[in-house]
Amino acid sequence: MSEFAIEFNEVVKDYGQHRAVDTINLAIRKGELVTFLGPSGCGKTTSLRLIAGLELPTSGQVLIQGKDVSQRPASERNVGMVFQSYALFPHMTVLDNVAYGPVIRGVKKAEAENQARTLLNQVGLTNLESRFPSELSGGQQQRVAVARAIVQQPDVMLFDEPLSNVDAKLRRRVRAEIRELQQRFGLTAVYVTHDQEEALAVSDRIIVMSAGKIEQIGTPEDLYDRPKNAFVADFIGDANLLTGVIQKGVFQVGSLRIPVDHQERPSVTISVRPERIRLSDINTETEANGIVLEATYLGSRMEYLIDMGHGMLLCSRPIEERRRKVREEVAIEVQPEDVSLID
Amino acid sequence: MKVIASLPRFLAGPSRASVSWLFLWCMASWLMPWYKVTPGITEAWFSSALGHSLAGRLWLLPLALAPCLLLLAQWRQWSWSARTSTGVFFAVAAWLIVQASLIGLHGTSPSMGAVFPLSTEGQTGLGWGGFISIIAMLGWLSEALADRGFCKGDRFASATIVFIVALLGLFVFFPIVKLSLMAFRSPDGLWSIAPFIERLTAQDLWRINCITAAPGRCGVVINSVTLGVLAATLSTLIGLGLALLVARTGFRFKRTLRAIAILPIITPPFVVGVALIVLFGRTGLVTTSIADWFGIVPTRWLYGMPGILMAQVLAFTPVTFLVLLGALEAINPSLEEASNTLGARPLTTFRKVTFPLLRPGLAAAFLLAFIESLSDFGNPLVLGGGFEVLSTKIFFAVVGARYDLGNAAALSLVLLVLTLTAFWLQARWVGRRSYITVTGRSDSGLAPALPKSIAWLTYGSVSLFILFTLGVYVIVMIGGFVNDIGRWDMTPTVRHLGTAFSVEWQQGSLQFYGSAWNSLKTTLLVSAIAAPLTTAIGILTAWLVARQNFMGKRQFEFGTMLSFAILGTVVGVYYVAAFNVPPVDITGTMAILIICFMFRNMPVGMRAGVAALAQIDRSMEEASQTLGATGARTFRQIVLPLVKPALFTAMVYSFVTAMTAVSAVIFLVSARHNMATAYIMGRVENGEYALAITYSTVLMIVMIICITAMSLIIGKRQLGRRKTEQPPVASHAAALP
Amino acid sequence: MKKLISVASLTAAMSALSISASQASADELVLYCSVDENWCRVMSEAFQRETGINVLMTRRSSGETYAQIRAESGQPRGDVWWGGTGDPHLQAAQEGLTARYESPRLGELQDWAVRQAEASDYRTVGIYAGGLGYGYNTRLVRGDAPACWSDLLDERFRDDVQVANPNSSGTAYTMLATLVQLFGEDKAFDFMRELNANISQYTQSGSAPIRAAATGETAVGIVFMHDAVAQAVQGAPIATVAPCEGTGYEIGSMSLIDGGPNPDNAKIWYDWALSAEAQALAVQANSFQVPSNSGAPTPPEAPRLEDVKLIDYDFERYGSSEVRTRLLQRWDREIGSL
Repeated sequence: MSEFAIEFNEVVKDYGQHRAVDTINLAIRKGELVTFLGPSGCGKTTSLRLIAGLELPTSGQVLIQGKDVSQRPASERNVGMVFQSYALFPHMTVLDNVAYGPVIRGVKKAEAENQARTLLNQVGLTNLESRFPSELSGGQQQRVAVARAIVQQPDVMLFDEPLSNVDAKLRRRVRAEIRELQQRFGLTAVYVTHDQEEALAVSDRIIVMSAGKIEQIGTPEDLYDRPKNAFVADFIGDANLLTGVIQKGVFQVGSLRIPVDHQERPSVTISVRPERIRLSDINTETEANGIVLEATYLGSRMEYLIDMGHGMLLCSRPIEERRRKVREEVAIEVQPEDVSLID
Repeated sequence: MKVIASLPRFLAGPSRASVSWLFLWCMASWLMPWYKVTPGITEAWFSSALGHSLAGRLWLLPLALAPCLLLLAQWRQWSWSARTSTGVFFAVAAWLIVQASLIGLHGTSPSMGAVFPLSTEGQTGLGWGGFISIIAMLGWLSEALADRGFCKGDRFASATIVFIVALLGLFVFFPIVKLSLMAFRSPDGLWSIAPFIERLTAQDLWRINCITAAPGRCGVVINSVTLGVLAATLSTLIGLGLALLVARTGFRFKRTLRAIAILPIITPPFVVGVALIVLFGRTGLVTTSIADWFGIVPTRWLYGMPGILMAQVLAFTPVTFLVLLGALEAINPSLEEASNTLGARPLTTFRKVTFPLLRPGLAAAFLLAFIESLSDFGNPLVLGGGFEVLSTKIFFAVVGARYDLGNAAALSLVLLVLTLTAFWLQARWVGRRSYITVTGRSDSGLAPALPKSIAWLTYGSVSLFILFTLGVYVIVMIGGFVNDIGRWDMTPTVRHLGTAFSVEWQQGSLQFYGSAWNSLKTTLLVSAIAAPLTTAIGILTAWLVARQNFMGKRQFEFGTMLSFAILGTVVGVYYVAAFNVPPVDITGTMAILIICFMFRNMPVGMRAGVAALAQIDRSMEEASQTLGATGARTFRQIVLPLVKPALFTAMVYSFVTAMTAVSAVIFLVSARHNMATAYIMGRVENGEYALAITYSTVLMIVMIICITAMSLIIGKRQLGRRKTEQPPVASHAAALP
Repeated sequence: MKKLISVASLTAAMSALSISASQASADELVLYCSVDENWCRVMSEAFQRETGINVLMTRRSSGETYAQIRAESGQPRGDVWWGGTGDPHLQAAQEGLTARYESPRLGELQDWAVRQAEASDYRTVGIYAGGLGYGYNTRLVRGDAPACWSDLLDERFRDDVQVANPNSSGTAYTMLATLVQLFGEDKAFDFMRELNANISQYTQSGSAPIRAAATGETAVGIVFMHDAVAQAVQGAPIATVAPCEGTGYEIGSMSLIDGGPNPDNAKIWYDWALSAEAQALAVQANSFQVPSNSGAPTPPEAPRLEDVKLIDYDFERYGSSEVRTRLLQRWDREIGSL
C-alpha cells in the first residue's frame, strides 16, 4: 500500500489543440485535505475530474492508493464527488439519492437504506429522507450531496467548488462543516475553488495552478508568507510587487528603501503584503514618504492607496489605528521578514 | 487441473465482458445455423459455421476458429500484445466482408471456385449464427476500444457507438452509396461523370420560365423549393399565431385547440387531398356555392401549387404550433416584463424581445415544415395536376414509362443536398448565441398580453385555419359513410366499412373478412415494433452526440443526418436491391419495413433527445458514475427518467410516421406484410375515395387510442413528483456551445 | 452483461423476424398483380379455391412491379406477374427477368395475345386487351357528342381535357405511340401541340383523368376505354368514346418471373389464368377488358374491339427503349415544356 492516496505522474490532458493540464506531478497523502486553487480555466477542475475518472489523461499516470487507474472509468474507481451543482437526482427521494451508491455496488436495498439513514442522521437531515431534492433548501441539498458521496467510504472525496451555490452568509458555516466531516471520517479530500480565502481556511495544503501548470504547492502559511512567484503572490491575498535592486542588504526602488536579508542583486522583484506595511507620521528621518491617494473604509480595516512618486502601494491597516486622510503625507516602513523574494 | 481451476477466475475476471463476447461468438459460429436456409445439410449442429467448414465450405473456417483462438489467447495469457489480437480480429472481420461479397447467392467466379470448390454452389443470407457472430464481434471490438480509453473507458458508450455506427453503415450509408453510384451510370450501362452532370443540369430541374416572362413551366427543383419555402413560411406563421393564442391570451378553448391540432399529424396521406377536392375542386362544395352566389365560373385553381400548398399548410401547421408553443413557454416572462418596465410599448417588446428569443423555435419549426414539404409525396400526387415536384418526379422516374433509376438517383441526391442545406442555413441563422432563459424555473412574473395589432392578426389567421381544418375533417368523417362523396351521392351507407373491415362470427371464432384487415394488422405490428426501436436508437444517438466526446464525432453526426435521405421511393427501391441478396437478406420481411422506419425517423428522436439533454446538467450522470454506476446503468436510471418527455415525443412521432408513411413503403411491402398506406394509395389511384377515407378514419381512431395508451404507460412512470425543475439546469446548459 | 443482453435481444429480434418470415413453403404462390385490386383478389381467391395453393398477392401498378422485379433480380421473390400493360412486360422479357414458357393453352387464345407471346420469345403472353379512347362527362358536355380524336381540338373543350404525362404513365405513352402510328410522327406532334391548348393538366397517374371526368373536375379524360366503362358502371355520368380515326390498344400481359421461389405453382397459375373460366371472373370485379381466351365471354359492357377501328399497333417497335426514349424526349421538348 502506498502512503499516498493520489499520485499524478507527468499527467497531460489535451482538448484538441488546447492543453488543459500540462505535465503535472503531485502526491496527496492519506487523510489530507488538499485544495486546487486558481483562476477559472487554470486546469483545476480538469485535474479533479482526472482523479474522478470523468476525464482520462492524454498521457501520464493517475494513481489512486498506489494503483494505476489512468484508463479506468469513473465507475471503476472508488471516489466520492460533491459537484458544484450538487447533481442530486431530481426524480429520487433524499434517501434514494444517498442509497443509490451502495445499491449500485451490490448492497441489498434494505441494508443500503440503513446506511443512508445513519449517514443522513450524522449530517443532520434526520426527517427529510422522503423529500425530493427540489423540496430542500440549498444548504440541505449540499449536505445530501456530501452524504451521498461519503456513504460508500470512498478512497478520496472530491469537492468541486461546493460553496459557489451557497449564500455568502452560510459559506463560513458550511466550510467548517466540510472540514469537520473530513476530519471526523478521516477522509482524504481534494477540494477545488477559485476563492483564495476559502482555500486558506479549509486546506492542509494548497496547489496553486495557472494555465494548466502548478505554480506552487504548500501549506496556507507557506503560500501566503512565502509566495514563490508573482502569480501566487498576487493570487493569494493582495500583494505589492516591487521591482528594484538589492544593494548591501537594502532593497531599493525610487525613494523606497527596505532592509532585506538577501544577497545583492542587480534586478529583483519582491512582494510585500499590504497589512505588513506600517504607516507613520513623517519627520526628517523618514525617507520613504508618500501621499495618501485614496482611503477606503472597510469596516474592520482601512485600505490606503499611497503614491510613492515612482508607483503606488496598497496598504491595509487595522481600524483602531489613526486614520489617515486623503492627501496626507505618510512615511512607510517594512520589516525584512515581511519581504519575500519572487523568482 | 490447474488450468481448469483457473477458468472460473478467468471468466469472472476483469475482462469478463470481453470474454463473454468471445464466448458468444464461439457459440454462434459453432452451434447456431450460419445460414438462413441451409443448403443441403440439415442437422442443427452441422449447419453452424464450423459444421459448414468441415463439410467443405472452407472459407467459413477462419470465422469459426478466430473466436476460439482469441479466447484461448486471453485465457492462457499468451504473450501476444493486444495489438496482435486486434490484428487477428480485423483480419477476420475483413474476411467476413470479402467472402460475403465474393461468394453470392449463385456462386462465384471460377477462379474463386479453384480455391474453394464448394463456393460455386453459392451461399444464402445469414441466419442466427451469422448475425449473432457479427453482434459478438462488434461487442468484442467495443470492449477492446473501451479498454484503450475510448469514451473515457465507458463500455456502454463505446458499445453504443460501435453498434450504431455499424447499423448506420449497413442501413443508411451502404444503400445511399449504392444509390448515389447509380447517378453516374448512363442508360446504356456505362459508368462516367457525364450522365451525372447531364442529369444534374437538366433543363426540367432548373428552368425558371414561370418567373421570367418566357413561356413554359418552371423546373422541379424550383417548384419544390418555392413550394417548400411557401408552405414552411405559412405554416410557421399560422403555427406562431396558434401558439401565441394559447400561451399569451385568455383564449378559452385551449385544450380543444390542442386536440384539433393533433388531427392533421395523424392523418394518413391522400385523405386531406381528397377532402380538398371535395370542397374546393371545380365541382366542390365551396367552389360551386361561390359560383352560384357570385356568378363566377368555377375553375380548377386547386390543382397544382395552390392545392398542394393548402394541404401542406394544413398538415404542417400543427407541428410548427407544438414546436413554437414549447419555445414560447420556455421564455422567461421576466425578460418581457423588464422590457415593458423600461418603457417599451407592447409591440416594441414583442419585436425586440419576444421575437428574437423565439428565433431557435421559429427556425426549428420552419425547418421541419420545409423538410416535410420536400419529402411530401401524397399531396402532390393527388393535387399536383401538372405541377411537378421532386418527390413525385423521383417516383415516376422509377415507376414511369421510362424506367430511369440513374435519374431518380441524381434527383434524390438533389433532394438530400437541399435538405442538408436547409439544416446548415438554420444552424447559421440561429447562430451560437445563447437562448437559454430557463434558470431553475423562476416563475416570477406573468407573460404580457399580446399587443393589439398582433392579437388581431392572430385571431384572423387562427380562425381561418380552424374553419378550414374543421371543414376538411367533417368531409373526412362523412365521406366514409356515404355512397360516394366524390360525386356528392350522400346516401348513408356502411358499405365501405364493410368492404374494408367486415367480420363474421363463424364456428365460435371471429373471422376477419374485410380486405383491409391484413394491412391494418401488419401496420400496427410494424409500427408498434418500430416505434420503441426508433426511439431507442434516436435517444441513444442523442446521448452520444450530447454527452460523449470521441474520435470522428462530427462524421458520426453527419452520418445520422444522412438518414434524411431515406425519404423517398428511390431508397425503397435501393433497400430492396441492397438487402435482397446475401449476406443481409431481408427483403420481403417485416424486418426491412421496421429497419426502414427506424432509420428514416431516427433523426427526429435524436433531435428531441439532444434538446432534452441540453437542459439537463450532465453532472448528474457524472455523479452516478462516481457512485459506481456503469454507463448503461446511469443511462437507464438517471438519463432515461429525466428525458421522458422527449422519449414520449419521439415514440409518438415514430409510431405515427410508421403508420402513415408511404413513399419508401411502396416497394418494401410484400403480400405477407402489406401496409395500410400502400392499400390506401391503391384505393385512391383507383378512384375509390370513399374506401380510402373510411380506412383513414379507422386508422386515425386506432392511432388516437394507441397514443393515449402510450401516454398512460410512459406518463405514469414520470410521476416522480418533479414539481420544480432540477436546480442545476442553468449552470450546465449555459456552458453548452 | 445487461448491455449484452439488451443489445443482443434487439438484434436477435430483428434477425428472428427475418428468418421466420422468409421460409418458402411448398404450397404457395407469390403473385404480383397489376390490375385493379378487386380483380386481383377475385382471381387469387378463385385460384386458391380451385387448386388449394395459397396465393400471396401484392398489388402494384405495372411500373412499380417492373421496378420491383428489377430490384429483386438478385433473388427473385415473386413467381408470377399478372396483369398490367404490355410494355413493361416486354421490357422485362427483353432483359431476361422473366422466364420462357409455352402454355398448352396458347391455342385457345386470340391472335393478338399469341403475337405478344411470339414477340417476346414466349416470355410473356396477352391476357386481356383494352382499346385507347376517352370518356366525357355527359353533364358537362353539351351539343354534339365528340366521336373522334380531332373533336378534342374543338374550342368548347378549351382547358377541359386531361391526359396523363407519358413520362409517368403507360396509358399516356400508348396515346403518344398510337397517334404517331396513326398520323405519322410529325403530324402526331402537331396534333398534340394543338391539343395542348385544350389540356388543363397532364396528370401523373394514367387513370386520374377519367376520375376527374367522373366527378366533373374536367370534361374529357383520355384513358383506356375499359377504365371509362368502369366509372360509368359505378354510376358516373361518363360516356365512352372509341375515336373514329382509329386507335391503339394495350395488351394486358402475364409473365413468369425467372428464378421465382415456386416455379411449378407459377405454371399452374399461368395455365389457369389463360383459361376461359378464369378470364370470365373479370366482370365480377368490375373490370371490362376484352379477355384473350376466345372462349371467354366478353362482358356486355365492355367496348367490343370488333366495333372499334383498331390500328395495327407495333408493340415491338414502340415498346423498345430506343424508340420510347426518343419519342418521350421529343414530347418533353415540344409539348411538355410548353
